[in-house]
Amino acid sequence: MSNISDSPAELESQSSTQDIGSQAKVYAARMRLQNAVDQADALDAVREIAANLIGTEEVAVFKVDKKRSELWLYWSFGVDPNKHSVLEVSREPKLKQVLGGKAVYRLRLSNENLLSTDDPVSALVPILVDGGTCAVIVMFRLFPHKPGIEPVDREICEVLSNCAGRAIEPYHSR
Amino acid sequence: MSKKVLLVDDSTTTLMMEEMILKQRTAYECVTAKDGLDAISRAVVEAPDLVLMDVVMPRMNGFEACKRMRLEGSLRETPIILVTTRGEEEYVEAGFQSGCNDYITKPIDSFELVTLLHSYLGE
Repeated sequence: MSNISDSPAELESQSSTQDIGSQAKVYAARMRLQNAVDQADALDAVREIAANLIGTEEVAVFKVDKKRSELWLYWSFGVDPNKHSVLEVSREPKLKQVLGGKAVYRLRLSNENLLSTDDPVSALVPILVDGGTCAVIVMFRLFPHKPGIEPVDREICEVLSNCAGRAIEPYHSR
Repeated sequence: MSKKVLLVDDSTTTLMMEEMILKQRTAYECVTAKDGLDAISRAVVEAPDLVLMDVVMPRMNGFEACKRMRLEGSLRETPIILVTTRGEEEYVEAGFQSGCNDYITKPIDSFELVTLLHSYLGE
């Protein structure tokens, strides 16, 4: 199916539909996380959002240790847990930025990986609780037909960052 | 009377997103089901003009539900669009063999979705 439109009216309609699609994705992500009934459901929400709204079925959540020097694998879906059990902050420069509360994304067409792993990492998203990063969501390989992280995906990741606290801290009030 | 679309997905996130897009950009009425088995019973009762259905679901997947819908007299001609996470040829072929009319890949592009549904149901 072609997405090519010629007339200004068609282009405007296409743009408007894309905007509504983006709003719908961000809204659905927020509602899903806010309505998670418990910790397991919140983790399932992270998986659902990653797969259905962003486009990856390889996702892991790493919890930050007390010294903030290591991140331990807490939960994963579609990745080998033995291969990614711990991340050392000293060996992963991008993680320092994420621990500061800022998500990091792999740029389109970039060969640079975000972590020192064989598996391509598409996004590192901090989970914020009380203003601090308590865990990091690592999104690995995107679906083959997905060209890269797009602006709407960044908005969804922002929602994950601010609303996924319950996946890590069961009693977090969101 | 507005056209009716049956949305089938075990993900509440996806259902919410699809419904929001269709409500804002089309005049179609939406009804939902949460897996393949649920979809068949809903489709028989609701007689939708089109079914938009995920493939990977608990209890009964989209391929099987599609095959069974084609055995129901009232649903034999209903357009069925499968929503897949994979666009590979063999996977798409399996979808067409199950009796679907078309497919769309996740994550759903809203413009592609609306254009595809318009092509089957009109605006």
